[in-house]
Amino acid sequence: MIEITKGKQPLQISVPVMGASGIFGFAGEYGSLIDLSKLGALITNPVTLQPRRSASGTRVVPLDSGLLIHTGLPNAGVHKVYRENASRWKHSPTPIIVHLIGTTGEDIAACAEILNGRDGVAALEIGLHDEAVPRDVRTILGAVKTHTHLPLLVRLPLYSAVHLAASAVEAGADALVIAAPPRGTARDPLTGQLVGGRLYGPWLKPLALRAVGQVARRVPVPVIGGGGIHNPDDARDFIEAGAVAVQVDSVAWVRPEMVEIIARNLGGLELTRAAGALPDEWHPGLGETAAMRAQLLASPPPLKPPDNLPR
Amino acid sequence: MYERQAIIERVRRISPTLQRLDLAVEAVQKGVRPGQLFLVRAIESLDPYLREPWTPIRVEGRAITVERPAITTYVPGQVISILGPVGKPIALREATQSLLLLACESTPSALLYLAETAIGKGMVVTLVLLGAARSYPLDALPEEMEIVRGETHKLVWPERERIIRWADHIVAVAPPPFDLPFYADLLALIRKVRLDAAPGYAVGLFQPPMPCGVGACGACLIRRQGGEVTACIEGPAFDLTEIEGAIR
Repeated sequence: MIEITKGKQPLQISVPVMGASGIFGFAGEYGSLIDLSKLGALITNPVTLQPRRSASGTRVVPLDSGLLIHTGLPNAGVHKVYRENASRWKHSPTPIIVHLIGTTGEDIAACAEILNGRDGVAALEIGLHDEAVPRDVRTILGAVKTHTHLPLLVRLPLYSAVHLAASAVEAGADALVIAAPPRGTARDPLTGQLVGGRLYGPWLKPLALRAVGQVARRVPVPVIGGGGIHNPDDARDFIEAGAVAVQVDSVAWVRPEMVEIIARNLGGLELTRAAGALPDEWHPGLGETAAMRAQLLASPPPLKPPDNLPR
Repeated sequence: MYERQAIIERVRRISPTLQRLDLAVEAVQKGVRPGQLFLVRAIESLDPYLREPWTPIRVEGRAITVERPAITTYVPGQVISILGPVGKPIALREATQSLLLLACESTPSALLYLAETAIGKGMVVTLVLLGAARSYPLDALPEEMEIVRGETHKLVWPERERIIRWADHIVAVAPPPFDLPFYADLLALIRKVRLDAAPGYAVGLFQPPMPCGVGACGACLIRRQGGEVTACIEGPAFDLTEIEGAIR
């Protein structure tokens, strides 16, 4: 087991690969495509104190080898999100980490208090806004720490990760996540308008990798790396740079099965290719979804041999 | 919902701008029904990054036929990654005998599988092509279907009021960003001609980008009365009388 945080309620994961916030929904949305039990943990989509509606207008702008996405971080508010997902979180095959955001420290602290001690919530991940300065970090984490005993992961903005890391640790972060997808602006080819949003793509990896390397050397808490990971080698680069675990994000949109392949690779569970296997037999078992396995279990093969066998 | 490989078996050019591909898919994905779609990655490269929505226009034997722009080159034997079926099938109203389909500013591809299914059930189908949809090659459409070419101006076509009164059910498609304004105009027209639009009478297909296809990312949320729903799970077909922005 990999110990991400220490303390009364330590967060331990069996595989150093987590599903990043904003990608995997609130619990098991990807359950029919990915065997989520192979992941070390799953971070929920951002949750706020009050409900939030989706953004109006363009939400996705395709980019060269990537995309810009602006969803508006829609969620039903912490009470309803918990109510709707409590059972799934409790029975989740992998630890659930709830990602909290808010405009003020009080908002995030209130969310943390509501989730404190709830079954199925293994830890909290606090998402800091891009303009946060060290004072904001101390204020937010100071407020949150007084309202929860849950392990606290803090996700830092990419471009200020190095600047904010020490403040986050001083304020009580149990682990740092580097980094949140950076914001950008791009022109929507359909409407001709400029749209702002978060950026995803493989070209983020060098930026995130550098930030992870810089921060991991300087802080005494575990660092979780992420950004642009699209294959096991990408993930291993983050580990080499000093991360104890990684978060995979938009690769789930591009090649969902790759999430499981990365998790198996870093978790020591990778299956080797049988001699002469065809390309689509390369990862035996990976193509089978949870739904197919359930179907197989529901209709087991007959126990008796057929009557028409030659005697 | 499954992610599987499929093979392009045949490529046919049906117009200077469109081609049809016959795909060999696995049994689990042959269960696709009208309204549902696939998210497809045709190349190993990450450019384009997102999977493309491919809507079947016909399911026959072991092949699924889709329509794609001719600008992209596909070759027989090409292996593609296919994820789906995505979304819910279009639910035709009970006792529908006359079905009106409208395509505005896009090809009617997303409606053709529904049209064939309806014709197969003995329904009478009329397809109205509006705006850019008017340039669609008519000889690629089923002979049993009545085709009406509208004006370049949206929602103007010959015998418009009579055809709307005749229809038991209306299904329309328009791509973003034309979808909501078009559906709002259509709903207003239906209410004017028929005095009211019963729930489920007028359905619109929403085709926003769907990064995940499983309802996780929140990019394809549609604002419906009573809350927001994902087009990739609850859609892509929605009752227009329930859609915020279509109701005036």
